[in-house]
Parts: sequence; C-alpha cells; structure tokens
Amino acid sequence: MPRVRRRAVITGLGLLTPLGQDPESFWNALRAGTSATRRISYPDASPLPCQLSAEVGPFKPKDLIQHPDPTKAKTFQKQVNNLMARTVVMGLCAGQLAFRQAKLSLTEGIIPERFGVEFGAGMIASELDDLGRAARMSVDPETKRPELKHWGTVGIKEIPPLWMLKYLPNMPSCHVSITLDARGPSNTHTLSDAASLMALGEAYRIIERGACDLFVVGGTESKMNPLSLARHNLFQMLSKRHHEPEKAHRPFDRDRDGSVLGEAAAALILEELDRAKARQATIYAELVGFASGVDRTRDGKVMANVIRKALHEAQIEPSQVDHVNAQGLATPFSDRWEAKAIHEVFGDKTPVWCLKGNLGTSGAAAGAVELLGSTLALHHNEVPPTINCEHPDPECRIAVHNQGIKPLQKPYVVKLSFTDMGQTAVAVLKKWE
Amino acid sequence: MRRIVITGMGAITPLGNSPKELYSNQLEGKSGAGPIFRFDAKTFPTTFASQVKGFDLAQHIQGSEAFTQCGLNTKFALAAARYALEDAGLLQNSKVNRERIGVYLGSGEGSHDFPNLSAALAAGTPESGFKVDPVAFWKSALATFGPQHEYEMEMHTTSGRLANYFDLQGPNYTCQTACAASGQAIGEALELLRRGDCDIMISGGSHSMIHPFGVSGFNLLTTLSLRNHEPTKASRPFDLNRDGFVLGEGAGMIVMEELEHAQARGAHIYAELVGYGTTADAYRVTDSHPDGRGAAECLRLALQDAGLKPEDVDYINAHGTSTQVNDRAETIAIKHVFGEQAYKTPISSSKSMLGHLICAAGVVEMITCVMTIQNGVMPPTINYETPDPDCDLDYIPNTAREKKVNVAVSNSFGFGGQNVSLVVKRFQ
Repeated sequence: MPRVRRRAVITGLGLLTPLGQDPESFWNALRAGTSATRRISYPDASPLPCQLSAEVGPFKPKDLIQHPDPTKAKTFQKQVNNLMARTVVMGLCAGQLAFRQAKLSLTEGIIPERFGVEFGAGMIASELDDLGRAARMSVDPETKRPELKHWGTVGIKEIPPLWMLKYLPNMPSCHVSITLDARGPSNTHTLSDAASLMALGEAYRIIERGACDLFVVGGTESKMNPLSLARHNLFQMLSKRHHEPEKAHRPFDRDRDGSVLGEAAAALILEELDRAKARQATIYAELVGFASGVDRTRDGKVMANVIRKALHEAQIEPSQVDHVNAQGLATPFSDRWEAKAIHEVFGDKTPVWCLKGNLGTSGAAAGAVELLGSTLALHHNEVPPTINCEHPDPECRIAVHNQGIKPLQKPYVVKLSFTDMGQTAVAVLKKWE
Repeated sequence: MRRIVITGMGAITPLGNSPKELYSNQLEGKSGAGPIFRFDAKTFPTTFASQVKGFDLAQHIQGSEAFTQCGLNTKFALAAARYALEDAGLLQNSKVNRERIGVYLGSGEGSHDFPNLSAALAAGTPESGFKVDPVAFWKSALATFGPQHEYEMEMHTTSGRLANYFDLQGPNYTCQTACAASGQAIGEALELLRRGDCDIMISGGSHSMIHPFGVSGFNLLTTLSLRNHEPTKASRPFDLNRDGFVLGEGAGMIVMEELEHAQARGAHIYAELVGYGTTADAYRVTDSHPDGRGAAECLRLALQDAGLKPEDVDYINAHGTSTQVNDRAETIAIKHVFGEQAYKTPISSSKSMLGHLICAAGVVEMITCVMTIQNGVMPPTINYETPDPDCDLDYIPNTAREKKVNVAVSNSFGFGGQNVSLVVKRFQ
C-alpha cells in the first residue's frame, strides 16, 4: 500500500513590508497598484549612485513582539533594542504576527518538539555606529589610517560586547524559535534572492516526511543601512530613474534599468493538513510542489526544467496554472533570462505577475513576500496587476499581467525565484477549496 | 527507504589537505594551532588560531585565476569539492546526469576588506563622538571597496561557484546555522536523497573567520581561548581548565549517493549515512541549554532514525568546543540519552587538534568518523590533563585508541541553539 503523503497548508500570514504591515493593507495596496519606491530616507544620499528605496514605514517592535514569559518582558524589550539588527527585529515581528494571525496559542495545542522554524536571510551588515569609534581610535598618527595594532588594543574595546550576535544570519530564526518555544528543526537559508523559497521548500519536505507538524517559514532582509547600501550599489545593477521613483523598478519593461533596493519581512505558518483541519484553522492555500536546481548556462533551459519538476510534483500541467509569480529583477539580462524559462514551459499565454514594481527587491525576503501576494490572490480570487511594465519588452516573450485586476481563473500558482548564479527555486500553490 | 552512502571525500584543513592527512595527524595528536598569520593580530586579546597552511588554489584546480576575488571560504570549498568529486569519479563524468547531482553547503560569508572598511568608518567618525556620518562613509567606501570582492562575500556564491564550476545542476542549498551548519547540510542532503529529489549530493561546508572582525567578535563574546603563550595547548575540550575554543578554518566535502546508483557505476563506498536528528534549544542566543535539552533530543532522534540503540554506538565524535558551557551540556546530553552506556562509549573531540572550523566543523568531523570506521583507530582528545567532575565520561584522553568501529555519531551544536546529530555506519 502506498504511504499516504502528508500534506502541508498555509494557515497564517505575517508581514512587514513597504506596502503595509498586515495582510489586508498589503493586499489593498497591491490591488491599487501602489509603488512604495521613494527617494531614500537619508537626508543626504548624494554619494550613492542609486538614491531610491522601498522602505518599511515606522513600526513599534514593542507592540508586535511578545515574550512568552511576562516576567521577562522588560529585559526582552531591551534585547530587542540592543541585541537585534533591524533585519532580525523585522523577521521576528513577521514570525510572531504570522503565529498570532494563525490563531495559534503558546499555551495549548503545540508540541514544541514538532514545531520548527525555517528562514531565508542574507548577510546582515553592521551598523556604522557600532564600529565607527573603534576605527577612529585605531587611526595611526603616522599613517593616518586605522591600523590593526591599535585596533587590537584600543579599538576593540569600543565595540559593544555582544556585537557579533546582533548580526548573525541565523538570528531571525533563533529568536523566533526562542520566543515561540519552537524546539523542532531550525534552519536559515542564505541563497540570496532564492533564500526564503528554499526555506519554504525545506519546511515542506520536513512536514511531508513526518518529522514536524508545524512551521514558521519566513524571510527577512533590510539593506537600509549605510554599509549594505554601499556594497549593493557597488555590485548590484540598480535603477537610476531618480526623476520618477515610483516608476523606477520596471519588471519586463523595455526601458528597465535595474532594481530598487527594498526591505521586507514576511512569514507564514505551514501546517500539516490534518492538524490544521482538526483545529479548524483558516486555510489560505496548499503547497503542492517544490523543486530546485541550477541554470548554469543562463539560457533558461534548466530553469525551465526546475519549473517542470515542481509541476510534476504537483501532478499538474502548465495549462492548469493561473499565473506565474515571477522574480522580475528588472535588469536587462535577468528578465530576459527568466522570460526564456517561463516561455519554454508556459508559452506566451499564461499570465505573469511580478510584485517588484511595487516593492523593489528585498533579497532573501523577496520569495516569501511575493509568495504571500499569490497566497492572497488565491484566497481573494483575483490577481492585482504588475506595475511599471508599461511597454513589455518584445524580447521577453511572456504575457505580463499589467492591466487592472484579473479574476483568478485557475486553481494553481507557480512562484519562481533565482540567484544571479542560476540557483533556482520553484514552489507551486493550490487554492484551498 | 533509499539507502545513502558516502562515495567521495575531500578536505582542506589546518591538519592537512586530504582526509588521510587530516586523520593521520589526528591519530598522532597533532595540533593545528599557531600564531595568526592571516593578519597582524599581535595586539589582539587572542593572537593564535588554527589555520590552513600554504594554501594556493592554483595547486588544486585549473583556471583558479577566475576566483582571485573570492573569499577564502569559496577557495577552500572549490579545492575540497574537487578532491571529493575526483575521489567519487564524478569530475567531468558525463555518464551521470548532472541535473541529478545537487549541492548542500553549510557555509559562511567572505571576510570584510578591513583596511578600506575601517578607513571609511574612521573617515565618517568625528574625533569625539560616536555617530558616524554616512555621507563621509559612503564617499570613502564607494571609492575604495572592490565591487567583485564585495559580491563574492555574499553567502550564495560559494555553492553557486561549485555548481557552475563543476557542472552540478541539481538542487542547490546553502544554510548558515553557525557551528551546526555543515552537519545540518549533510542531514538535509541525506533527506533529499532518501526522498529521491536527486541521486547524488555534494555536501559539507567551508568557512574562515580568521580575519580582524571575526576574531574581534569572538573575543568580545569571550568565547575564544586566551592561552596565547601555548597555542597548541589551548583547545582542551572536557579538561577542567578549558577557557574557550580555538578559531579554525577550512572546508570539507563529502559525496553522498543513493546506494543502487553508486553500485551501478561501481563507485567505492566508504560508509553509509543512517541517521539524522535536528532540533532547536529555543533557550537563549548566548548560551546552550544548561541541561543540553535540545542536544539530547537530537541525539535521540538521530538514533531513532538509524534504528539503533545507544549500545550499538561504538564512537562519538563530540562537538566538544572547549568552552565551559558546551562541554558540560554535551556531557549531560549524552548521559541523558545513553544512560549507563554513556560511560562505556568512547568520545573524542577533533576540535582539540583542529580548532573550531565553525560552519565547516561538522563535515570535517564526519570525515573523521568515516576514516575511523575504515581504519579502526579512534582519534584522541588532546590536552586532556585535569578531569572536570562535571565531565566524567571516556574522552579518549591524549592518545589514539584502537577499536573496531561500526557505528559512529557526530554532534554539531550551533550558536543560537541549532543542534544536529548524524549517525554513520560501516557499509555492509
């Protein structure tokens, strides 16, 4: 007798995005075709080649994050302020929001050992103020530069003692597991733009094999930090459309000229189906397929194969897919590469939706945030438009959905994410009915 | 369930650049520690580390000039992967479907460009005061940082470089769970193979944190040994006078393969991976749980996964970092799962000789377990001089010991509370 396959469904959503800090406002902003890109919030960003960004508005971690032990609430809030970089705080907020939105409770119904956390995260850059004094004190009177011999004696003493712990990429998942008492598997995927989709895929596999019943899956990334901004301006192709920020990130548009750096955190609750049913949870969608692979020749062939593998796992044909939720980095090369892969599997009729025109690119968080968009689309039976794709690039032979709100016509959605090195992740969601 | 075996191994470590050297140096009880030569650390609180000596990528792979801007982590990984794939007969082997070969690394980031980053920071910091002016910082940083260097620091590049260079088109994962990373990578790769997502995975890790920010960070956390006067005696897991770990660096890679696939192509089989357990402490980011709660549970899960009992385990390669907290908690965890059997099970810490390879620690210790099964000699825990009443198990003190080992367990516990145990067995 074949083993009954354990199924995984999405039962909770939490997010902090430039377009809203709860699923409803996020969804409304997408429906309205809003772009979050603005001039960057630094008063003077003149040295930066790209001075645009899509930032998360003010939020109060205090109101969003709780510690299970109320007697520790005060020291915990201190930890949040001093021990967690912005990326970490955002990830923790999203994780806790998803947990509460799923109506899960810390005090009943959860076996800690069967509750895990999987996050996508990237390099978390040090805040300048944590290191500036150390560097200044290490300047040698002769060479006029910071020197290691001074750094080791006087410089190092100027750095906060727990400095390193603030920035480790596994901290978002660690803090989620600590505050929600999740003692099952905990992993952090660092595969750049594909990171949070890889986290989702792994959680799915773990639930399927029976090692866990419940996961917080998420992604978090903020580049709104001078060191990150400097680094990404150096190696990433970013838009220079300073005269019209809201139109800067233009996925699959013929006039695209690069990405806009955004920041976001998103988390979802992935739950074994019987468990979700037993507690009468609201089910948003079912995760029915996942695959990963590397398109090293950059011609879209292997990327297409990865999509096919995910469809095969979902036991569906391309014609059953309502829309492909694309990566759409909006660089000349990347969109063409992606379009080739999508075209090879779906031809030029299946609608393609991309959220980066609205949100910019949030790296390791992007896969999770964008997947959340399609999850809401399945839930609400409609698909908001791709914005800023005003003149679709004829070399991208795909049907970008760029006009109005489209009714959901088919029950499946494909989410595609990949890195500049060709590492590709694909997830297939099914509408829950 | 599909059975998964190891068919290739490669290692770039402070104790040698092959599994054989790595293992035989451990049997001799050699330490890889010495004064730091990667940068001028003479005034740092800790002035020594366990470093890979005389490494030149050009001696290990062809076309190494394409990787000059890569971090040491990526360079170590490329070299170790080359040997593992060659050992498994998979370098340029077109008979094997390259879309069925995946990569799962637990690997770290590259290192910051200290001279230019510190200069940019200094340029932005007033003589008195703490607030750094971003404009001054950017002006300096954008003019001096190397774009390719900054790109190669990103964590997806290591597994990406491997996939692109060696033509490995299957599933590609990178995880970063600190000191548990490469153990976790091997465990999850095992599950991907069992499930049938691919037939072969190259798994392991690579890391070097022996740079000014790495050593500063660990020194500030007071986790590094300060025994500057005798580096080779500094890593002393389970010894009463242990005072922290010794920072190491390097890479290890193993080729994991579905059994029938390996047999069909006549591959040499080193051992079989039979068990994996993983948990989170969910306790604190700064300390592991004092009772080894998560560690005990993952050990139990790994044995259960392998269908084995504590008395079936012949040897444990401990996480054994040489910090006060870890070694005590790990001892408690082993006792908790093994009961009386804990006292009869030989345990040693490779970190006493290799130092702590952080993300790469788990895989190098797994390779040590495989070599132990193959050769029948268990490496020692060196520098074990004064017993700690809290750590009262058999840690194979100071000299290697002969024993036929059929089943070995390798533990890895990460900063932040991730725990991994792996069980490897003689192939029969």
